[in-house]
Amino acid sequence: MALQDSIARVEMGTAKRAQRPSWMRIFRSRTAVVGLCLVLFWVVAALLAPILPLPSPTDSDVMAMANPTPSAAHWLGTDILGRDILSRLIFGARTVLFVAPLSVAVAMIVGITLGMLAGYFGGWIDAAISRASDVILAFPVLVIYVILIANIGPSVINIVIATTIASAPGIGRITRGLVLGLKEQEYIAAAKLRSESTLYIMLVELLPNCRSMLIVDACLRIGYTIITIGILGFLGLGLPPPNPDWGGMVKESVTVLNVWPLMSLAPSFAIVSLVLGFNLLADGIREAWKP
Amino acid sequence: MNVNASTLNEVATVATPVAGLDPLLEIKNLRIEFRGKSDTIVAVPDLSFRVRPGESYGLVGESGCGKSTTAMAIMGYLGSTGVIARGSIRFEGKELVGAGARELRSIRGRRIAMVYQDPMSALNPVKTIGAQLAEVPLLHLGAGRKEAMEMAAAMLADVRLPDAGDMLKRYPHQLSGGQQQRVVIAMALLARPSLLLLDEPTTGLDVTVEAAVIDLIAELRRRYSTSLLFISHNLGLIAETCDRVGIMYSGEMVEEGGTGDLFRNPRHPYTQGLIDCIPDIGSDKRSLVLRAIPGHIPLPQERPAGCLFAPRCSGFTKGLCDAPALDLERAGEDHLVRCARWQVMERPAAVAPEEADHPDKLADAITLREVTKVYRLAAHKVLKANESVSFSARKAEIVALVGESGCGKSTLARIVTGLDRATSGAIRMAGDNIAELEARDRPRRLLQSVQMIFQNPDSTLNPSHSAAHSIRRSIKKFGVRKGKSAIEQRVRELLAMVRLSPALADRKPSQLSGGQKQRIAIARAFAADPSLIVADEPVSALDVSVQAAVVTLLLDIQKEKHTTMLFISHDLALVRHVADRVVVMYLGKVMEQGTVEEVFGGGTHPYTEALISAIRSPNPDETPRERIRLAGETPSPVNVPAGCRFATRCHRKLGAVCDTVPPPIRRMSETHEIACHIEEAQLRVEPPVYAAANEA
Repeated sequence: MALQDSIARVEMGTAKRAQRPSWMRIFRSRTAVVGLCLVLFWVVAALLAPILPLPSPTDSDVMAMANPTPSAAHWLGTDILGRDILSRLIFGARTVLFVAPLSVAVAMIVGITLGMLAGYFGGWIDAAISRASDVILAFPVLVIYVILIANIGPSVINIVIATTIASAPGIGRITRGLVLGLKEQEYIAAAKLRSESTLYIMLVELLPNCRSMLIVDACLRIGYTIITIGILGFLGLGLPPPNPDWGGMVKESVTVLNVWPLMSLAPSFAIVSLVLGFNLLADGIREAWKP
Repeated sequence: MNVNASTLNEVATVATPVAGLDPLLEIKNLRIEFRGKSDTIVAVPDLSFRVRPGESYGLVGESGCGKSTTAMAIMGYLGSTGVIARGSIRFEGKELVGAGARELRSIRGRRIAMVYQDPMSALNPVKTIGAQLAEVPLLHLGAGRKEAMEMAAAMLADVRLPDAGDMLKRYPHQLSGGQQQRVVIAMALLARPSLLLLDEPTTGLDVTVEAAVIDLIAELRRRYSTSLLFISHNLGLIAETCDRVGIMYSGEMVEEGGTGDLFRNPRHPYTQGLIDCIPDIGSDKRSLVLRAIPGHIPLPQERPAGCLFAPRCSGFTKGLCDAPALDLERAGEDHLVRCARWQVMERPAAVAPEEADHPDKLADAITLREVTKVYRLAAHKVLKANESVSFSARKAEIVALVGESGCGKSTLARIVTGLDRATSGAIRMAGDNIAELEARDRPRRLLQSVQMIFQNPDSTLNPSHSAAHSIRRSIKKFGVRKGKSAIEQRVRELLAMVRLSPALADRKPSQLSGGQKQRIAIARAFAADPSLIVADEPVSALDVSVQAAVVTLLLDIQKEKHTTMLFISHDLALVRHVADRVVVMYLGKVMEQGTVEEVFGGGTHPYTEALISAIRSPNPDETPRERIRLAGETPSPVNVPAGCRFATRCHRKLGAVCDTVPPPIRRMSETHEIACHIEEAQLRVEPPVYAAANEA
C-alpha cells in the first residue's frame, strides 16, 4: 500500500504533499495559478477602482463621441454615449464580482443543506427533495432566470434568488451523491456509537470530506453565473442603467459592431477572461486535491 | 509434487524445443523506477530470478515489496511513469526489455497470460463471457468465429464451470466471484500460454471457494504443462502450490529456494519472522504468543544502506549489516539468502504466554436469543441475514463468530452495537434487551458499554480530522474524563496502551500506516471503557507481520481490562489462536458452537470440517488429514435451501431429509452444539482435521 501511495504521489508530482497545507498545494498546479492570476487581476482592479485615475464610468465625454476609438484619454475608447470603456469595465467588475460569488454562496448553503438532508436521511425526505430538484433541473437554466427576473425585476437580491433556485438543485445532487458514499464509512458508524448528534455528524464528520468537490463546483458555478449575469444584461434584464454592466455594454453597442467592434469586444473579453479564470482555478484545484 | 515437476519438464521440452534446459523466464538485475515530475521512486532496485519450464514459482512478500510491480514489468504494463531503468527480462530466450510493441503483443496474452486479483475489473462488464473468451483465439490463434466459440466453451468446461453453453451468453455481473475468477483463468489459458502470471488470484474469494480455485490451477497446470509465477502474500498458499519460492522485501529478493527446504529451514530473519507471525493451527493463545516483526517495511525513498531488513532485525550487527552491497549467498543446494549473518542467525524459540489469571468467567456478559434479521427487498422477496441466532458470551471471554461472506456475521455485529436493529429476538446485556434498540435510542450507559473495532483501516478514521480526534470525542462524550488537560492526558495513555507515540495524535490518517490506523481504532474503542468490544475482522486488511502485532496487542488489552469480545473473522487459524469459544455461521444460521478445543477437535459439523481443512499452513509438516472439497458456491441468502442451509454443498449429506427438514441440534457436551442430521455418535467418531489440533 505504501508503495502504491508513493507511486501515486510521484505521478501527480506531489511527492511531499503530506507536509504542505492543502491550500498551498494549489500553487503546484500551473492551471490553478493561471486561473488565480486572471481572477485576482479583476478582483484587484475592482477593489482599486475608486482610487485608480479613471474617468467616471457614467459621465459622457462629448468630445469623444465623434471618434470613440482608443485615445490617450480613453485607453479602450468610449461607448456611443461617450463613456470610458475601461472605466466601465473595471466598475462593472465590481458588480459582477460581488453578485456572482454572493449568489453562488447562497445557492451553496441552500444546496448543501438540501443534499445533506436527502443523502443522510434517505427515504421520503430524499424522495421529496430529489423530485423537486428534478423538476427545477428540467427547466433550461436561462429560462428560469428570464422568467424570474422579468417578473420580480432586476436587482442584486433578485439575481441571488434566481441563482439559488437555478443552482441549488445541482449542488444538492452533488452533495447527496457524496454523502451517500460517505455515510457508509466506518468513521460515521464510530461517531454514532459515541452518541454524536446528527447535526455534528453532518457538519463535522461529513461536510469536511465533501469540501474539495464542493469548492471545485463553486468555482465552476461562479463562472456560469457570470455568464448568466452577462446574458441577463444583454437581454436588458441586468442591473438598471446607468450602472456599468458587462452584458449591458455588449447590448448597447451591438448595433455598431461593424463600425466600432471594440465597444462590444472589450466587455466580451472581460467576461471570457473572468469565466476562464474561474474554470481554470476549478480544474487546478481538482488536480491539486486529487485524493 | 517434485515427481510431477520433472515429468512436466520433459513435456515442456518436447513442446518448446527452444526452451531446452534454459529457463523459461529469466529476470536479471532488473531495476524498475517510477518517474514523476519531481521525484523518482525506485520500486525494484535490483532483482534477479528465473522460472524454469513447467515450474511453479512463488513470489512472496507483503504489500509494497514490489512483487506486483515485477509482474507488471514482465507484462510490459508499467504505465506512463514506470520505467525499466536497467536489467533484462528474457522469455523463451527473447529479450522483452526494449522489444517493439508488435513483438510484445505477440507474446503478451499469447505466450504469457495474467490472472489479476480482482476478476470483476479484468472482465468487461458490457460484453458476454463468450465474446470475451472468443477474443483470445480470434486474436492470437487466428481462429474463426465458430471455432473460437467452441474453444471458449471447451475451456469453460475445463475450468469446471457448469453448463458452459449457457455461461457463454451471460454477463460478468451474473456470475459469482469464484465463477468470475474461473472465467479469467479460462481466458488466460485459452491461448495455451507457456507462462501464467497469477497476481493474488484468490485474495478476494472465500476460503472454500479459494480451495477449489487453487485445485483447479494445480490441475490445469499439470494438463497444459504451463509454468506459473504465483504472486501472493499468503505463505500457506505458496507453500502448497509452488515448487520454488522467492521471498521479496522492499523490492529485493531476500531468500530463494525450493519450497520444502525454504519453509523447513528458513535462513533469512524476515522469512523466519513471516512464518512465525502466522497463527499456527496447532496452538492457541494459551500456548503460544504470536511473534510480530517490529516496525514496518521501508518506503522506497527511505531504504537503509546495506540490509534492507536491518532496522527491524533482532540480529542487527553494526558494521556488518549496514555495509553496502549485500549479496545473495548460497545457503545450501538451490537455496540463496541475502543476510550477512545467516550462518549464526538463530530462529527465536516459540514463546509461551504468561499464565493468565482466570477471572470469574461464570457471569454471562451478553446473551443472544433467537435473534433474527430480515431485510425486505421487495413485496415477496426477503433476505434473511440472521435466523434464530442464539449464543452467549461470558465476562472476559472472546467469542469468535466464524463464517464466509454472506453468513450474517457482520449483520449480527451491527445489531449488537446498535448500528442496525433485529427484526425479532432478544439480546440481553446486564438486564436490558438491546436487540431492537438502535444506537440513537440507547441510553448513554448502554452505548458506552458496547464499542466496535472496524475492518477497514482506510475508512475507520475520518480523513479530515487528526488521528486522535475521535478518541478525544469519545472520552468527552461519555464523560470518562472531564476538562481539557485530563482528556489530553487520557489520550496519551490510550496511545501508549496501543504502543503508539503521542506525536501521532495530531497526524492526519493519510500520514499513518494501516497498522497504526487500526491501533488508533482500538484505542478509540477502549476510550469509552466498554465492557463489550465487537471486533469485525479487525486485522483482515493488514499485512501478516502487522496483523500479528495488532492481534497480540488486542489480546493483551482485552486480558488486562477483562473486556468481553465478539471477534468476527473468516480466518480460522486466527480464530483458533484468539478465541475461547467459537460460533460457526452459514447463511445466517448457527451451524455449530463450542469451545475452541471442541470446534477444532474431532467430531464437528461438516461445514466446520471443510472450513478447517481449507486452512493452509506454511509448515510443510502440517497438512490436514484430507482436503475437503465443497461442491458449488454459497447459495444466495435471498433464496435459502429449505432444510439444512448447508445441504447443497455438504460432503456428508445423508439424503432427502437434509434438503427438506431443518436439522436438529445435537448436544455434544455442555458447551458444544451442532445443528446437523447426522447422528451424534457418528459425528463423534470423526477425527480432527488437523492431527496437531488434537494435542493442543
